[in-house]
Amino acid sequence: MARDEYYLMVAGIGGQGTVLLSRIIGDAALMKGYHVRIGETFGAAMRGGSVHSHIRIGREVLSPLLLEDEADALLAIEPLEGLRRAVVYLKPGGVAVLNTRKVYPIDVNFGVARYPKIEEIIDAFNKLGAVFVYGDFTDLAEKAGTARATNVAVLGAYARLIEGTDAPFDKETLIEAVKGRVPSKWIEANLKAFESGYKLADEQLKK
Amino acid sequence: MARPRHVVGYDEPGRRAILLGNEAAARGAIEAGVQVVAGYPGTPSSEVIETLSLVAKDFDMHVEWSINETVAFNVASGAAIVGARSMATMKNAGTNWVMDMFATLVYTGVRGGFVIYSADDPEAFYSSTEQDTRHLAKAVGTLILEPMDQQENKDLVKVGFDYSEKFEMPVFVRTITRINHSSGDVEFGPIRKERNKVAFDRHWKLPWRWNVYGPFKYKGKAGPTAKHAWQLEQLEKIKEFVNEVPFNKLIPGETDLGIIASGIGYAYLSDALRKLGAVGKPWILKLATPYPLPEKLVSELLENVKKVFVIEEGDPFVEEQLYAFMKENHPEIPIYGKTKNQLLLRYGELGFAQVVNAVAKYLGVKAPEVPEERRKIKAEISKIVAPRSSALCPGCQHLGTYWGLRFALLKISAELRRQGVKGVWIVNGDIGCYEQGGYGIFAKPIKAEATTESKLWPFNNPYEILDTNYIMGGGIGLAQGEFQAGYRDGPIVAVAGDSTFFHATMTALANAVYNKAAFTFIVMDNAWTAMTGHQPSPTSGVTATLEPSKVFKIEDVARSLGVEHIWTVDPYDLKATEKAIYEAIKTSWEKKTVTLVVARRECALQVVRRLLRTGGLPEIYYVDEDKCVGCTLCVQLGCPAVGFDKEKKKAWIDPVLCVGCGMCAQTCPVNAIHPKTKEGR
Ligand SMILES: Cc1ncc(C[n+]2csc(CCOP(=O)(O)OP(=O)(O)O)c2C)c(N)n1
Ligand code: SF4
Ligand code: SF4
Repeated sequence: MARDEYYLMVAGIGGQGTVLLSRIIGDAALMKGYHVRIGETFGAAMRGGSVHSHIRIGREVLSPLLLEDEADALLAIEPLEGLRRAVVYLKPGGVAVLNTRKVYPIDVNFGVARYPKIEEIIDAFNKLGAVFVYGDFTDLAEKAGTARATNVAVLGAYARLIEGTDAPFDKETLIEAVKGRVPSKWIEANLKAFESGYKLADEQLKK
Repeated sequence: MARPRHVVGYDEPGRRAILLGNEAAARGAIEAGVQVVAGYPGTPSSEVIETLSLVAKDFDMHVEWSINETVAFNVASGAAIVGARSMATMKNAGTNWVMDMFATLVYTGVRGGFVIYSADDPEAFYSSTEQDTRHLAKAVGTLILEPMDQQENKDLVKVGFDYSEKFEMPVFVRTITRINHSSGDVEFGPIRKERNKVAFDRHWKLPWRWNVYGPFKYKGKAGPTAKHAWQLEQLEKIKEFVNEVPFNKLIPGETDLGIIASGIGYAYLSDALRKLGAVGKPWILKLATPYPLPEKLVSELLENVKKVFVIEEGDPFVEEQLYAFMKENHPEIPIYGKTKNQLLLRYGELGFAQVVNAVAKYLGVKAPEVPEERRKIKAEISKIVAPRSSALCPGCQHLGTYWGLRFALLKISAELRRQGVKGVWIVNGDIGCYEQGGYGIFAKPIKAEATTESKLWPFNNPYEILDTNYIMGGGIGLAQGEFQAGYRDGPIVAVAGDSTFFHATMTALANAVYNKAAFTFIVMDNAWTAMTGHQPSPTSGVTATLEPSKVFKIEDVARSLGVEHIWTVDPYDLKATEKAIYEAIKTSWEKKTVTLVVARRECALQVVRRLLRTGGLPEIYYVDEDKCVGCTLCVQLGCPAVGFDKEKKKAWIDPVLCVGCGMCAQTCPVNAIHPKTKEGR
């Protein structure tokens, strides 16, 4: 049985489509008859800032923010941003998808900060008790036709991760929601990206 | 009617859609049959007008981006005076700009419904301050509505027009980032089809209605004082009325603990009670009118409780009114909130976590906790989470301007030192994407000190170039003040964007010329109001509804305001930019006059978006590692696509981020950066 309340977090940087991804998930929840609140910090117009969305799905929800360790799921379109939010919000045993394609902050470019190694990030996700899959979803999206479908490739992996769980939606609903939000000329590439993401997760989970 | 370009225009009552708070507000205005909407962009308010401009034609409404909030407010006021339903939108800082007219308009009231949409920003995500604009509306004395979520953001805007017409008073909707920039499912209501008749009657209902100085006599007074007396009478009626507003609700509880929750405070409270398993325990007054307070409802609450806790976003605004009210009526009941019995911080946003913890404490129940062991793991992991400082976009033309400015300043400063002048420049910042020139690098530690002498602080990137930064139009005024105070230790510079130029600097520029100041003013004209989401400005050549319009030239305006020395330059040409700025500063220093540099190139992000739509970028750049000598000059440009490999001691360019502007190639002293064509983007 699906849960009465379910919480997700989407993390990435400006320009990667975190807002679109959150809206897709919100639409899917709406199709399933839930109320939805999405707390978005999308930064200013400039690209490259840290952005994340809190998604609260439920029968009664009114407010948009998650508590610490409350997220049932984390969708990370950028690894450092994924880690930044996982360490605060992802609950032990929560599911996560981690895109490993790095985007360096200027702090790292100027040599005043260090970008953690992907192995360190994976190790941290393990320590946090995440059930997760990871991979270069940007690459999958590029192969599907456009790097801009990275967010949807990540969603595809998430669709596989929640199979058999009490999450409030399923693969079909998520695909419907993608179709409803993505401009028609990009639907094909996005659906391809979704499937590659799904497949990547499927293979990793079987290992 | 063709299908409107945005779901908010669908005439489908009962439809549920996920809307951004600001889109919901736009829907509310449509449902109310709004006729004129004016505003100036400002996060988190801009999407109201952005959304309405998509459907303006469908509903025969006038929607405009005005030059600033003052003008927008006056435009909307004029529309309301002739009977149209009108709305003005603004962010917190913008509300400060409308105060003169706002404080005066309430003396005459309005004929058509007038809703003021003021978007506050607790936690200052996108603002210079956390200012709570409810104080401003209370100071002038009119009804404030405060929504709890996206649904109410729509509903309160809608009824705001009705209430405004009922009391012939402007109505103030105070909303916040967490509602405006959050999305939620919103149920649509019917759209009002009839439009208010537009008509003018100078003595409508009261003599000299639209003229505060008119010889209107009332309660033994005349002119503005009489109008003030009339306004206070309206306010009394509103005070009674708020007890019946259906968005205010008294909800009985099982205990003698009371909670008053205003706006989003109620949304957090309601979710917190479920989380804490305490639904039904406290008595709750859900408040949508933080001013005036519904005193009857408050009294009823107080009769049933022994303590009361106020939850509200922003200042203790309701709380302080409650202190005043309860002094007379229940002085024995203690008030909890943000002042005496403090459960909530006075700064920062309210936030769900804080409310959960405070409510748990107040009700004496257990809040969810993270076990100690897990805390330790998290603390350990947090150490490797690198900060991500805000940056300008890859290829942003402002990077070129700042590169030129930095090297021009270094050159002038060195020359001045040879003449015995300290050579300590002041660069006054302003508000726009280029304000990031003052955001600094989060990961870099800075030590403050107390000096009496002017001092030059070294930096090597564009993010530390701005010395001062406050508000829109502030920089140029500061520059004049610094000069007129006698600051002569080095050149004085002020920067502004094109939208800021028209918003707030033209009068300051005339003032500086007229009063014989000397400094260099750099206007970065990127043809858009970029930071707030690329709304058109007078330099864009289009209006909010995308009708072609006149393109204003900043040089022409400045010339007519008395500026005699003007340079125009393309910021992508780094050498030319440095040269122009150098000459402008030198001329200002030597001739003791205001000089102007216009750095003109369209916002790179706009250009890239257009290119992506029509087939991709022609080329991107790469670093030839064999040639790179590891000098880091290209990194110092500050483009987020340029990085440096510390081990290899070589620069690199991220091919996904690079947009091919070629600026970094110009910074390279050994010609190691070259273009290559790029497939698939
Ligand atoms: C009084 C006030 N109104 C609105 C804003 C919101 N705001 C921040 S930056 C900006 C516009 C900047 O445009 P421009 O000066 O052209 O610079 P750009 O971002 O295009 O570089 C606005 C309107 C504000 N900070 N203060
Ligand atoms: S939006 Fe335009 S002006 Fe703003 S940082 Fe990006 S490129 Fe520069
Ligand atoms: S060419 Fe250089 S400066 Fe321009 S976007 Fe690419 S990396 Fe950045």
